[in-house]
Amino acid sequence: MTEALMIGFAGLGILIALIAIRMPIAYAMILVGGIGVTILNGPAIFMNQLKTLAYGQFSIYDLAVLPMFILMGNIATKAGLSRDLFRAANVWIGWMRGGTAMAAIAACAGFGAVCGSSLATASTMGQVALPELRRAGYSGSLATGTLAAGGVLGILIPPSVVLIIYAIIVEANIVTMFAAAMIPGLIAVILFLITIAVYVLIRPGAGPSHGAPERREFFWATLGVVPVLIVFALVIGGIYAGWFNPTPAAAIGVVLVWVYGLLRGRLGFRAMGEALLDTAKTAGMIYLILLGAEMLKIFMSRGGVPQAVAEWMANSGLAPMTVLILLLAALILLGCLMDSLSMILLAIPFFWPVLVEINGGDYVDAESAGFGMTSEDLKIWFGVLALIVVELGLITPPVGMNVFVISALAKDIPMIETFKGVGPFFVAELVRVAILIAFPALILWLPRALGYG
Amino acid sequence: MTDTPQYSGPAAIAARIITAWALLGGIVLLAVVCMNTWTVIGANFGIPPDAAETGMIADLRRWIAGIIPGPFPGDFEMTEVGICIAAFSFLPYCQLTGANVSADIFTARASPRWIGFFQTLASVVALFFAALLLWRMYAGLLDQKEYGYTTAILQFPHWIAFVPILVSLGLLAMAAVISLCDSLRQLSRGSA
Repeated sequence: MTEALMIGFAGLGILIALIAIRMPIAYAMILVGGIGVTILNGPAIFMNQLKTLAYGQFSIYDLAVLPMFILMGNIATKAGLSRDLFRAANVWIGWMRGGTAMAAIAACAGFGAVCGSSLATASTMGQVALPELRRAGYSGSLATGTLAAGGVLGILIPPSVVLIIYAIIVEANIVTMFAAAMIPGLIAVILFLITIAVYVLIRPGAGPSHGAPERREFFWATLGVVPVLIVFALVIGGIYAGWFNPTPAAAIGVVLVWVYGLLRGRLGFRAMGEALLDTAKTAGMIYLILLGAEMLKIFMSRGGVPQAVAEWMANSGLAPMTVLILLLAALILLGCLMDSLSMILLAIPFFWPVLVEINGGDYVDAESAGFGMTSEDLKIWFGVLALIVVELGLITPPVGMNVFVISALAKDIPMIETFKGVGPFFVAELVRVAILIAFPALILWLPRALGYG
Repeated sequence: MTDTPQYSGPAAIAARIITAWALLGGIVLLAVVCMNTWTVIGANFGIPPDAAETGMIADLRRWIAGIIPGPFPGDFEMTEVGICIAAFSFLPYCQLTGANVSADIFTARASPRWIGFFQTLASVVALFFAALLLWRMYAGLLDQKEYGYTTAILQFPHWIAFVPILVSLGLLAMAAVISLCDSLRQLSRGSA
């Protein structure tokens, strides 16, 4: 082991220790990365790099979609889009047994189509749907569990903040990744709906059915989703169809949601200011982590850590599938401790080289590859799998953020009930991961059909 | 959702400035959004069809193109510069509102005094980072100006973008001082 490699590993250890003592993850990365580079390259080079490093990092064109999609989600939240979605879903499927919960899932999926964040989806849909679910007589456990799990759809259905970050780290095409996540996202919705159907079959008392809606209500509620459909069709559809790049698409999405909010009279100056400040918080946090991750990356690759880990895993004699499942399990574990974004930024730079090495390098052909697919396909497949498993951390203890958000809204329901309610959905997610591992075509088909893969 | 902490005295003024600065950054973000929308509309409708084309549709398109301006030149580079300026302006607000995520699971049972100590440490790192980057990026500004670096199409000088960024870093240092004072207060309260 060379000296540089040892310093690299020591840096990793210190990084974990700093994160454990509540150092904001961005600053922990900046501190370790900065000191590490200073030791390995000497202070003069690093001081010179600092003149433009942050400027260069913050002005990456592909990153510009991040604040825009975040803003789009925040404006959609303020504009009451979630209310219209839920109302429409409720008239369509609300009359079934467990239907109101199913409607909440459908509305979460719809909201996920304009918002790239799980927490935002969980909290806004929670505010709208939770009172309705309680009024309809749903058990606390099913009501809160549904919403906490439904929030995950915010990130599984494009646009997705985590997916954008993943694409930038592994240098994948954002459009390809968005297309790849689409079918798995729909599978999630279907599995969640089945989960609710089975749940109320076993416990009929948990989700009572109510009568069919009146025709008038049916008509007006359905009309309410038209704007959402237009936004989604133009933004995501426009990206898929190749009409425009993700950045202008995101910009158009912001303007459309903005106009929608103004027309509905729900978006005054105050609400708009709040949406901007919420965006400032999320986007600022992400950009600072990105800067920290860049510094850490310079340090780690100078120390040769990712290469060493990749070589070590490749020589371990484990079957490719075993390694893949180990890495996914590690992501699930990490997800219990930190938020998905920091985790993707921390782990993927180490995990991705391992997979490429095992697969047989960057330019391997599908026949001789470890996973039976090219490394480009592997990139897409693993990205979607990683996206799913990092999001599982949001609904599992000890730091299930979605569960916390919903619990804060439903003060009368003990958090343990919410965790219990989320359980069936967690199982559904594991089933989905198994399906997607067994049939990679579910992920790879759409990008190829659209001409991207 | 906007839970700006309440301060009194000079910290309150600083907090207001930082919040206003983040809002300004948000407006820059909105400007970038509008510019990109303009580009898409302009590229699709703002360019009149070839003179050889005749017929009603061509005339209609010519008429529309007369009203709508053509695509914004240099949208790519101005998106980069605008988003960069906006992102920097968000950093002080993140520090002020404690929006930078940390993992608190390992220290959930630590005493308030220890937590005060950890927060002091984090604030010191933030302050040091802000000061270091302010110093280095000032040198960066001088470099950009001296070598006359500009964007490719609009010839927008990069050093101009550095000016609001340096203000952001100054405010970030200020926000770090505020959170340092907060954590020191908690530290002394914890020991009392």
